[in-house]
Amino acid sequence: MNSTAATRPNGLALFILPSALLFALFFFLPIGLMAVMSVLTGNPVVMPKVAFTTRHYVRMIGDPFYLEVIWTTVRIGLVTTLVALAIGYPLAHWMARIKSRTGHALLLMAVLAPMLTGIVVRTFAWMTLLSDKGVVNETLMSLGLISQPLKLMYTETGIVVGLVHIYVPFMVLTLTGVIGRIDERLEQAAENLGASPLRAFLEVTLPLSLPGILAGSLLVFALAISAYVTPILLGGFQIMTLPILIYQQISANFNVGFAAALGIVLLVISLLLVVAYNRALGLVSGQRELQ
Amino acid sequence: MQTTASPSLPAAQQTASVRAPGPARPYGRYLYLAINIAILVFLLAPIAIVVVFALNPTPFIQFPPVGVSLRWFEKFFASRDFMHALGFSLEVAVLTTLSATALGASAALALARGNLPGARLIVATMLSPLMLPAILTGLALFQTYVLLDVGRPTWGLVAGHTLVTLPYVVRTTLAVLHNFDLRLEEAAQNLGASPVRTFFEVTLPLIKPGVLAGAIFAFIVSFDQFPVSLFLVSPGNETLPVTLFNYLKFDLDGTIGAASVVSIVLAFVVVIGLDRTVGLRSYVKL
Repeated sequence: MNSTAATRPNGLALFILPSALLFALFFFLPIGLMAVMSVLTGNPVVMPKVAFTTRHYVRMIGDPFYLEVIWTTVRIGLVTTLVALAIGYPLAHWMARIKSRTGHALLLMAVLAPMLTGIVVRTFAWMTLLSDKGVVNETLMSLGLISQPLKLMYTETGIVVGLVHIYVPFMVLTLTGVIGRIDERLEQAAENLGASPLRAFLEVTLPLSLPGILAGSLLVFALAISAYVTPILLGGFQIMTLPILIYQQISANFNVGFAAALGIVLLVISLLLVVAYNRALGLVSGQRELQ
Repeated sequence: MQTTASPSLPAAQQTASVRAPGPARPYGRYLYLAINIAILVFLLAPIAIVVVFALNPTPFIQFPPVGVSLRWFEKFFASRDFMHALGFSLEVAVLTTLSATALGASAALALARGNLPGARLIVATMLSPLMLPAILTGLALFQTYVLLDVGRPTWGLVAGHTLVTLPYVVRTTLAVLHNFDLRLEEAAQNLGASPVRTFFEVTLPLIKPGVLAGAIFAFIVSFDQFPVSLFLVSPGNETLPVTLFNYLKFDLDGTIGAASVVSIVLAFVVVIGLDRTVGLRSYVKL
């Protein structure tokens, strides 16, 4: 794109139109309608008199329950992100530095395989692992390490474990790209100058991979706060997060306006994250241009 | 490349042999490998466990397993609900793949070659459904369909799926277009080919791998899609993930395991297909 001089749009530009239409009708219009619905007293199609209202937002801010739900969602997102980073980084580093082509391909398959297994399937897997009579508890009890089953499911810990498993591949793939671009000779130079491998990593590779850490973390956080299946199944309907609350407002309470207001809150959080994510990736490419 | 071998062990052995630790400080190296193998086990064990439960004959989840049977597969394939859901999921996935591929590939062409003003912003917009919560896309479309009083038609679901799969096609096609040697097209035209003929005989074959990779991605993402479907399916006409989810809320038996194995096998077939057609490295760039 950069090689062609800035000229007027040509005939090929018209090929954008079908997608533009799809986005206009099925993305921007619905999200715009959602924003409108969040400040109306009812459905304008079936109700003759609807008025502007801020009551859905007032209700959210005024009731500690809803603030608690938002905080629970953010807290689960933060913990998931930190754990995903802690276990994603070593694997991404290995993938980026492995010399063997076959080894790299096998690692890539190992990361992609869970990614291509549906979310419902993976949540089912964690239910069989974490339940009171699940694999983890049965194994620990038969080894005599515990006498009572540990309460792993229906807790935030269980939700975090499931979410980490589902979203860690995104972290690994983001980080691998960034670590792979760091010149390995920089580490070697540090080691030749007497630094231990750990110190070379901490003082050379880690700081250079910060933009990737930021981008991967924002991506995982954005995905984790919008998860529905895992929190509801591993939380056993006992832990309330924003997506669960939104669906409940639609399916059980038929409160479309309040659901829309909650949706707008989630949208604003996500949009801020998207902007930050693009900034972080911009830092990565900026770094590449400097090399 | 080998696709049949267990991914974790051979990889570990190869690394150990390729990057043999120096005699001075082997322990750090061993720790590094041990941590990474533990992470791989964490990633892959849940998938293995699903297979174990799909084959274990007891009517509830029991560990350690007591035997091997195919009764859950029989129950899955004999269940009208599951078979209907599987068929509907495949139908939606095929329709989604067709529309997302056609729209996404042409959009990528326009963005890479159309001299569009603000192309970067358009790309960012078209990729945004990847990062915006899919549950919001589902909610917003649901509200729109309610307001417009159109019910819950299949095309409405396919439109939602197209929206969330389009970014994959755009990204893989753009990646190929960016690595494209423009001189090939110039050469064709210098040799007398018309722009249309150049497009069909030079451009299209060269971008085909990217489009194909995007199409396969679109298929698998649509087949596994949950949050958008949750809002847009109608009772009695649900996709497989929604049916599995509803089943999971009340039952935890091997049928889910069997259904999971079927979708895992499908995913693996797709990954291998991807690797055979375009190679995995070329497009897995986030």
